[in-house]
Amino acid sequence: MTRRKKTLLRLAAKMALAMAIITVPYVLYLDFTVRTHFEGKRWELPARVYARPLELFQGMRLTPAALDAELSDLGYRRNARLDAAGQYSPGDNELRFVTRAFRFWDSAEPSRKVRVAFEGGAVHELQDFESGKTLDLVRLDPVLIGSIYPAHHEDRVLVQIGEVPPLLIKTLIAVEDRHYYRHYGVNPVSIARAMLANLRSGRAVQGGSTLTQQLVKNFYLTSERTWWRKLNEAIMALLLEAHYSKDEILEAYLNEVFLGQEGSRAIHGFSLASRFYFGQPLNELKLPQFALLVGMVRGPSYYDPRRHAERALALRSLVLDVLLDQQLITAEEARTAKAAPLGVIPRAPSGTSPYPAFMDLLRRQLKRDYKEEDLTSEGLQIFTTFDPRIQKNTEQALDARIAQLEKQYKIPAGRLEGAVVVARNDNGEVLAVAGGREARYSGFNRALDAQRPIGSLVKPAVYLTALSLPKRYTLATLLDDSPVTFNNPGGKPWAPQNYDLQNHGMVPLLGALAHSYNVSTARLGMEIGVPGVVRTMKRLGVMRDIAPFPSVLLGAVELTPIEVTQMYQTIASGGFRAPLRSIREVLTVKGEPLQRYPLSVEQVYEPAPVFLLTTALQQVVSAGTARSVIQQLPDGLTVAGKTGTTDDLRDSWFAGFSGQHLAVVWVGRDDNRPTGLSGASGALRVWGDIMGTIGADPLRLTPPASVELARVDLQTGLRAGPGCADAVELPFIEGSAPGEISPCADGGENSIERFFKRFFQAQPARSR
Amino acid sequence: MALPETTGELRAEPLPENTAPQMIAEDVPPAPNSAVVALLDNADQQSRIGRLDAAAAALERALRLEPRNAEVWSRLAEIRLQQGQLDQAANLAAKSNNLAGNNVSVLARNWKTIAQARSRKGDLKGAREAQDKLRELEGKR
Repeated sequence: MTRRKKTLLRLAAKMALAMAIITVPYVLYLDFTVRTHFEGKRWELPARVYARPLELFQGMRLTPAALDAELSDLGYRRNARLDAAGQYSPGDNELRFVTRAFRFWDSAEPSRKVRVAFEGGAVHELQDFESGKTLDLVRLDPVLIGSIYPAHHEDRVLVQIGEVPPLLIKTLIAVEDRHYYRHYGVNPVSIARAMLANLRSGRAVQGGSTLTQQLVKNFYLTSERTWWRKLNEAIMALLLEAHYSKDEILEAYLNEVFLGQEGSRAIHGFSLASRFYFGQPLNELKLPQFALLVGMVRGPSYYDPRRHAERALALRSLVLDVLLDQQLITAEEARTAKAAPLGVIPRAPSGTSPYPAFMDLLRRQLKRDYKEEDLTSEGLQIFTTFDPRIQKNTEQALDARIAQLEKQYKIPAGRLEGAVVVARNDNGEVLAVAGGREARYSGFNRALDAQRPIGSLVKPAVYLTALSLPKRYTLATLLDDSPVTFNNPGGKPWAPQNYDLQNHGMVPLLGALAHSYNVSTARLGMEIGVPGVVRTMKRLGVMRDIAPFPSVLLGAVELTPIEVTQMYQTIASGGFRAPLRSIREVLTVKGEPLQRYPLSVEQVYEPAPVFLLTTALQQVVSAGTARSVIQQLPDGLTVAGKTGTTDDLRDSWFAGFSGQHLAVVWVGRDDNRPTGLSGASGALRVWGDIMGTIGADPLRLTPPASVELARVDLQTGLRAGPGCADAVELPFIEGSAPGEISPCADGGENSIERFFKRFFQAQPARSR
Repeated sequence: MALPETTGELRAEPLPENTAPQMIAEDVPPAPNSAVVALLDNADQQSRIGRLDAAAAALERALRLEPRNAEVWSRLAEIRLQQGQLDQAANLAAKSNNLAGNNVSVLARNWKTIAQARSRKGDLKGAREAQDKLRELEGKR
């Protein structure tokens, strides 16, 4: 070796050292980046919001159509073979289906083969269709009703590699990187090929990327196409492979890959893409669907099967040919798959919920316990009280009835609005919310934010206050309905008027409420004191401060429909207030319970006065201002409730309940102009439409032990004597029934006839 | 389907058949519902192994199927008592009482729950009153 050569070698060694001094730290830096990012990689996952799971049991009220709708909301497919979860097959008054396994917080529901037979609008038989064994209770998986995102966002549903169908993975590898399991992160052969192509064109146009490189690119790098970036990508891919197993890298890829766009929402990962395009979970997909999804990795918008069905079909054939080439499928399988329809659901399940009004309520309740960023990034699973079937009936009833009322009352189209809240009487769960007639529109939520005078909806609070004083007031107590003026210290004198401008003389308390007489109610309220009535409203669950002006007695109090719902919930449950709830439980992304929102009740009234009040509220429907609703309801559906109308017919209200369900309806205009609608002609009709279609069951009251029945003559308010053959039997709190016997003197006309005369003949019975 | 206008005067209409106040619940015991029975069993199992939250959840499920089942409310009250939620225990037992009609055994269990809840809260007078109710009921059995 010559000196010169030695010098050269030394120089080369020095240069290599210098290179190493520069390169090694850089590689170490890349290594650090790769590892910290990969291990710390926590995708920001939006919270998922679920409806209540439908629970099936023998005897429950349910129509085949309602069950069919629930299954189709869940993305179950009609398939008579019934050989996999998520398939169903309707038959003659029966339905068979295979449920999906689902982990609830308290237990896991296994997949079951279910046959439901219907009879008379109820579940008649519930059994395993294979073994024939009777099933006591089947809990379906819950419908996903929305997610909670930040404004601009990647959306994904995480999967573990073990949950991904093996054929999908094989398809992906066959198409994108067939040497995946053999290379070390880069594939020299394809890089060489790509370099050649790039040299020819003078820029970096071709990828030759392995799955690992694609992942690196998505995770760490910008999408610019430079040699420097390609080099970084290759080094990082090698590093990634050095640290992690093939399956770990593949799992990250399956969750990371971009597969579609909907507005500001980017669809990432195969699991969400499966729901987004096919409405089904990934593990229910079949070969043609895998093939399409894998192909779409190449260009989700160019191959969007909703907008470019032809391209998508061609792409799918291409992928199937690759699979056939590599002998992953048979020629027969390829043929069948190519002939299959794309199977894409026409509209993607919206990222924003189709139920904005309920989501609004939910978010307000969640806000008390969770930070916004937890909701948009932690992947929380939120199980709600929402009932999609009742919601649908509610939306339809409100929309159709309001349109009809606009025509009938010559209101300009689009001006009449409404809002509804439906809840369970006894546990306060909110089942449905309509914030306006356009249920899909997430604007002004009238159910939560429209604060309106409640008119006669306040009267139950007046009468409950009175009936809690059994020594002074019973249902038979005669009230004075004749004109009166109250002097208002520091204000104008107050002379309440009846809606029909009539004087009804002496009226029994029961009838004064049933017919919503204002004068007798005002007199009663002034006797017992306005502050007492306001206290009653508070106890019933109205949180808002109410100034105790006399006009409160006739409903000059502005409340929102949801506040009214709380007030009536307490009445409907016999005096046991249960705070209205929209959440049942919140789970972590891994399904661990984070927080439960358990049932809680507080007894705020003795059962007896609430029972008397409810008896009177039944009378409102059977004989009073809400009588017209009977023809809307199925036979035998007894209900109770109260109409409300405000000055000049601006607000039309009805609040009422059946055996299990409570609904509050408001109808009016956003500009607060008169509508021509009373509570009975507007809101009540919407209410009747809803109660008539949700499978409500009749209200049947159990009299509390401290209540006794007595026959009374309503004209005198006295106990009916032997001469009063047709007196009315009424409930009284023990010891409060009238002692004195009515003479029933005028013989020829019995008291029932007088009762009717008084209420239905002498005066028109319009509600206020 | 346009319904006839009914807000105006009712004078001309025939009298409705059922105008007397609707009376009132013959006290029909509900047919035993196998789903509710299954959930009650489940709640029992859960509470035996100390999973009281899961037991309560099973009972809440049962109440969604049969919200007026006094026995289920009563059991839920007992679970809450075991968990030391004394106010809830007493309120739930009162709710059960309100639905129990003449079911002496459920009423007795409820008063027992109420008596214990009150005494653990230090309301000794209230607890004594509940004990009196309990003795009265046990006399009836």
